[in-house]
Amino acid sequence: MTFLYQKLIIIIAFSLLLYNVSFGQAESNTEIISNIAEELAAEDNDPEAAALYLEYLNDLIENPVKINLRDENDLSRLFFLSDFQVKSLADYIRRTGNVVSIYEIASVPGFDQHTVEMMSPFISLKENDAGSSDSLSVRNTLLTNLILKPGEKDTSYLGSPLKILAKYSIAAGRFSAGLTTEKDAGEKFFTGSPPFPEFLSAYTSYSGKGVIRKIILGDFSLRFGAGTSINTAMRTGIQLTAPGFMTIRDNLRPYTSTDENNFFRGAAADLAVKNAEVILFYSRNRIDATPVLSSDSVISSIMSIYKSGLHNTSSLLLKKDLLTETVYGMSLSYNFRFMRVGANWSETLLSIPLQRNADDPESIHDFEGNKNRLLSINYNTVSGRIMIYGEMTVNNFRYPAFVNGVTLKPSDRLSVNVLWRKYSNGFTAFNGSGPGNSSSSANEEGIAGNFSFEAAKHLFISAGYDITHYPWLKYRCSFPSMSRKGGIVLRYLPTEKLNFEFTYDYRYSMINNQKASGIAGIEGSESRTFKWLFRYAPDENSAFTTRISYKAAYPSGSRGMLLLQDVYYRFGRVPVTLWFRYCLFSTESWDSRLYTYENDLLYSFSIPALSGEGSRSYIMVKWDIGHFGEMRIKYSLTGITEKSGIESFNDEVKLQFRIWF
Amino acid sequence: MKGNPFAFRSGAGERGTGLVCITKSGFWSSFSSQSLLAYNSSFSAGVNYENRFVIPELGTCTAGVIFPAGKSSVGVIYSNFGYPEFRRNMGGISCGMPLGKNVSAGVQVDYFSEIVPGEYDKIRILTFEAGAAFNLSEKVTAVIHLFNPIPNSIRKSLLPSTITAGAGIDLSKTLFAGAEAEMSTDENIIIRSGFEYEAAKKFWIRGGFSTRNSSFSFGIGYLIKSMKIDLSLSTHERLGVTSSVSLVFKIK
Repeated sequence: MTFLYQKLIIIIAFSLLLYNVSFGQAESNTEIISNIAEELAAEDNDPEAAALYLEYLNDLIENPVKINLRDENDLSRLFFLSDFQVKSLADYIRRTGNVVSIYEIASVPGFDQHTVEMMSPFISLKENDAGSSDSLSVRNTLLTNLILKPGEKDTSYLGSPLKILAKYSIAAGRFSAGLTTEKDAGEKFFTGSPPFPEFLSAYTSYSGKGVIRKIILGDFSLRFGAGTSINTAMRTGIQLTAPGFMTIRDNLRPYTSTDENNFFRGAAADLAVKNAEVILFYSRNRIDATPVLSSDSVISSIMSIYKSGLHNTSSLLLKKDLLTETVYGMSLSYNFRFMRVGANWSETLLSIPLQRNADDPESIHDFEGNKNRLLSINYNTVSGRIMIYGEMTVNNFRYPAFVNGVTLKPSDRLSVNVLWRKYSNGFTAFNGSGPGNSSSSANEEGIAGNFSFEAAKHLFISAGYDITHYPWLKYRCSFPSMSRKGGIVLRYLPTEKLNFEFTYDYRYSMINNQKASGIAGIEGSESRTFKWLFRYAPDENSAFTTRISYKAAYPSGSRGMLLLQDVYYRFGRVPVTLWFRYCLFSTESWDSRLYTYENDLLYSFSIPALSGEGSRSYIMVKWDIGHFGEMRIKYSLTGITEKSGIESFNDEVKLQFRIWF
Repeated sequence: MKGNPFAFRSGAGERGTGLVCITKSGFWSSFSSQSLLAYNSSFSAGVNYENRFVIPELGTCTAGVIFPAGKSSVGVIYSNFGYPEFRRNMGGISCGMPLGKNVSAGVQVDYFSEIVPGEYDKIRILTFEAGAAFNLSEKVTAVIHLFNPIPNSIRKSLLPSTITAGAGIDLSKTLFAGAEAEMSTDENIIIRSGFEYEAAKKFWIRGGFSTRNSSFSFGIGYLIKSMKIDLSLSTHERLGVTSSVSLVFKIK
């Protein structure tokens, strides 16, 4: 520890002497990313989606896609690109050589200036890669996050109110390794016997270019095809105004996230011979669960899998690592000239059987037992300007799930997507997450369509609509039901400095109407949200964003509105960057709450739901400490005026250190 | 919709355009949006009287002065609203300067004092407001402005905050149009729009509309040598008419 402190002091002292500082990559989050994050945050039935999405973005910033490697699998990590764009970019680099400037990408068929700006924080033009070069230069990265809410002290919690995250990674040539540890607010840092950090994850990885593409020992993340059978990576949901819905690809990556229950722990290998690829994996991981106790207090079965990862009370701590989940499987894929086909198989074994609640009609189709077998086939094919893709998965030879879609690109300025999916009642994939409106992906049938159109020079229009039917009961809805959602985005980018955006979002769903005792009735719940945004960046060191949002919710008829001002400024002479937001909001009820994406620390996120009458402000400062690291500090404050006229305040301090050595 | 009574809005010319104050440079608008001070590079002084709903007790007297200070311009403003038993005074010192070819910024330190009869205490509050103006093109200007962006938790007395954003365009050499959106603490968004037309040489006609109390505004202005005189009327959906008159002298 003493050595570390000494090193830290030396690093800070050196950085004060450094005048010739190179700034990091642009810290610009484009509006489309913010839109998706806010859309996911508003999904009531999948509260983890936004966190996973932003963590994925952080991972992309930390490990940008090296586009000049021409690896389509790696390029597909840029999830907002369609398969068309991935193939187009890879072909372009193969044909013309390395991309030397990101602006060159705008001339690649299927790309435009707006897409390039969106990609820029997440790509690198460097060709040498830890996984591909023979260089043995060692690079260590250490990241620590501390989050504290000064006013909040709950004595019922087991640990301190501090939220701590530490990540360490090392890369040397084709080998890399990493370690992640985390403690949420209220949790003890060390638990169990012998004591271990609350959450500890580690991996070692080898990447190659020959038959062995990748081998990972430890924790890893995996996705097969469309993700309906296996997908522990990000679920993008269905973003109606994003350029593409999805890609059909297998992806094996080291696990660096902090979701405590959605990853594999064991070994995995990705092997490739010419156009054929095989991924094999074995995982044995302890996950959280809610037990059912028999009369003699013995755990007889599991009621549900507990996914939040929070263990800040004694009762929640009892759920920790209660269940051993063993998963193994393999995926085979082959690239024909115009078509890629794949098949995968996996089995999940639970150490304690899962038992559905027999008294609850909603769970009548839910999984029971301790063994789940999944078989899946997938394809995607490109012919001219049409791409067709799909996946069919069945669990325990009984419950199928289908995903099929088509992407048309009639011209470089127009892209059209249609996606149909059907997840039967009872379909279960413990580690799967295909495209759909909820993370569970069962009891859902729907069709979604969207288009992106460059209507005129500098004017972009995107719009989409989704209709989903739920043939069986679901959370807060005791009837078969349906939902609709739609959206329109108009973007006008007259110059690189200016951005005007108008967004309209419409949502309709059905929920119980429990006005009297007995069986609940059903009613429609509807919301319409309008958003106007103006962004001006006079130069690369400053940007000013003004946003107005208005939301109307029915049947309550409540309205909500906000006006916010963002300022981003990077000082010229000192390596300091500043973000400031001031936001005033006024909503008549929780129904008309508004979500606002905020810039935050890496691997931390904030999309507060603003409800009531009040203000939300934050200031964040980043200090680049030479080439050794950076420090970020964020202070945020929310003030709410109660009905009595008294104002209440909540504040939060976040601190982050990143050190490279 | 009450708006923020502390956020400064004065000047018969500005009221004539529906209080579209932050996007068009002028003497009074420089105290509503200090970034516009950067465009006032001459020594000038002005007085304004506003009478709400023809009730003398609801009158506001305002006086201000602007003088150049190098690349910057500095302004001093004083305003008095009410009658001896209920009075609100405001004093402010502001500074605005260009930050680049197309950007200017300004800040104002405000001091408010209120005297309220009865058991209520006197209120004295110090705060600030700041903004930036961007020349998006030769004809289009966008402005943002924050009034009192200080959380009330830092200070014991409550003072509403306001965010204003707007844009103005010179549609021709004689016609200007602007629109603003404004939101204050515990309030809904107010949209204002207005125009100013130079109908004859040195003579202006103004009009505007604000969603706050569905208020329409009308006004005229005339320049006599170095003195500009402005008159305006604005309506309130229930309470009647507010009239104002202002004189601005450009001394140097």
